[in-house]
Amino acid sequence: MEQELQVLWVAVTAYVFAGVVAVVGVVLGKRPERSVLALMLAGLALQTLSIGLRWDRLGHGPFITMFEILCSNVWSLMTAYTLVYWRIPRIRASAAIVMPLMFIMLGWLMVAHPGEGHYPPTYNTPWLYIHIGLGKVFLGAVLVAVGLSCVILLRHAGIGLQRLAQLPASAQLDELAFRCMAIGLIFHTLMLIAGAIWAQDAWGRYWAWDPLETWAFITWLTVAFTIHARLAYRLSPPVHAGLVLAVFVTAFLTFFGVPFISATPHQGAV
Amino acid sequence: MDGAVKRNGLAQAASGQARTDSGDPTERSSAGVGLVRRLASLRLTLALIVLLGVGVAFAYLREGARTWPLVVPLILLAINLMAAVMTNGVFRRQTALLVFHLALVVLLLLVAAGRLTYLNGYVGVTEDVPFEGELSESDRGPLHAGALSGVRFVNRGFHIDYAPGLQREATRNQVAWQGSDGRWHDELIGDQKPLVVSGYRFYTTFNKGFAPTFRWRDTHGYVVRGSVQLPPYPLKEYSQAAEWSPPGSTLSIWVLLDIDEIILDPAEHTSFRLPEHYKLVVRIGRERHEMHPGDSLQTADGTLEFEGLRNWMGYRVFYDWTLPWLLAACAVAVVSLAAHFWRKFTARPWDA
Repeated sequence: MEQELQVLWVAVTAYVFAGVVAVVGVVLGKRPERSVLALMLAGLALQTLSIGLRWDRLGHGPFITMFEILCSNVWSLMTAYTLVYWRIPRIRASAAIVMPLMFIMLGWLMVAHPGEGHYPPTYNTPWLYIHIGLGKVFLGAVLVAVGLSCVILLRHAGIGLQRLAQLPASAQLDELAFRCMAIGLIFHTLMLIAGAIWAQDAWGRYWAWDPLETWAFITWLTVAFTIHARLAYRLSPPVHAGLVLAVFVTAFLTFFGVPFISATPHQGAV
Repeated sequence: MDGAVKRNGLAQAASGQARTDSGDPTERSSAGVGLVRRLASLRLTLALIVLLGVGVAFAYLREGARTWPLVVPLILLAINLMAAVMTNGVFRRQTALLVFHLALVVLLLLVAAGRLTYLNGYVGVTEDVPFEGELSESDRGPLHAGALSGVRFVNRGFHIDYAPGLQREATRNQVAWQGSDGRWHDELIGDQKPLVVSGYRFYTTFNKGFAPTFRWRDTHGYVVRGSVQLPPYPLKEYSQAAEWSPPGSTLSIWVLLDIDEIILDPAEHTSFRLPEHYKLVVRIGRERHEMHPGDSLQTADGTLEFEGLRNWMGYRVFYDWTLPWLLAACAVAVVSLAAHFWRKFTARPWDA
């Protein structure tokens, strides 16, 4: 276990450096994009190695304990954001917002106990992997939307106008955030469907109002509400950004809060 | 064309009332169309999504009130959507979006149909004793019309390993079931694989245990076999007792399984198995007896012979004919939603 943890802490250090460089770059008006991308990729490679070592040792994926769930989500969120950072150069400065958000999860990960948990037999199905994978894509899409929304809100509040000027106009960021939410809606829907198939096989019911199912559905409703509200009221970018943040908070509570206060079989594996 | 028919329909409905009311038929028609337009409002959709969210929270918090808090907003959303389909040109221009929303309505109707015809139940089945369609507990929709009484299967035994700390691992249960043609089939079921017979799905559960099996001969020489399912093991390891009456008798027999060995050692990798060192304590009235396999006991009502111990497995039973259709509706919904956004987003770059 020592080895996998050491590799993980080096990965966390790389992420922290990536975030620091991104923030300093925006503050100083520089564009150290290659360095940020290299650090993020290095962090991802090391974290992949760490997760692989643990997976090999325990014989199951990182789905059980809070440590494993945080670790796998840091990995998937960083993968999603790194992909966007690489593919959409115009929004790279948003790393100065997104990476500090990731620091919260990294800090939480560092204080979580890395002990092992029991892998229930009901988790031994491909549907678990599909369900979790789809949920991770949803969270990744929402994270990107949150980064863009924070930029819009900071601009609206008159904070860092000059430093954030290298990013596209708020209307364009708003459109991109909307598209991320649309992608999020599709993947959240798929996650619910895959989860229902898994639950039917594992527990003989596709829906049972367990806390995680209920909160996942409420999260789906908040995404649907946000998309409809933007269409119905032609929301201004700051208002839409506020709704995106509300979705993120709901999703965060669902994914990282509910599984650990619930005593039902569906403990949460995303 | 459809729109014209609907408009005429509304106009005709309005004209019927116009004879008694003083209004102009054209005005009535436009009032009807106006009402449908108001029902189709996207802002109403938003309000109804909020109402559904409140209903979901209510249903979650109040287990006994799960129907109306969900049904009312869902019906209103369906009306809102149908009105939007009738009046909003966006749906006619964007087929994928229309299909997505219609798939949601179909999903809703299927869930409603499922709730009317479902069955949830539970039954414990002793090894080699056929299941004959009787459940220990069940709840079912008012229109449930399945053929559970015709379902036959036999629990042929199961294997469950335990990791140290009594952590249950995979369940493998061998069963034999009778098909509609009367032929018997063998099948291995377990954690992710139910037995499906006549639409009924039997899922193994963590409930399993021991069942002392008896042969009962009454005073007329009539012989029956019966088994007593003791409380689940190891969940209720220290209360392995139950009361039983032989078929056709009012005699009350209390049995206790006194196991004289460790079946599942929490410190070891181990497997669920029948005990080898045990005695069965049988109490009838004030008389107490200890029995081993093959022992007989004479009572005033007949003779009780203890044949031995068997396993029993608890099955969760589920019936819902809508399952494949629900999956199909979900697939249509998500594919059409993805197609809608794909067309929308590829038509114009985000930073155009």
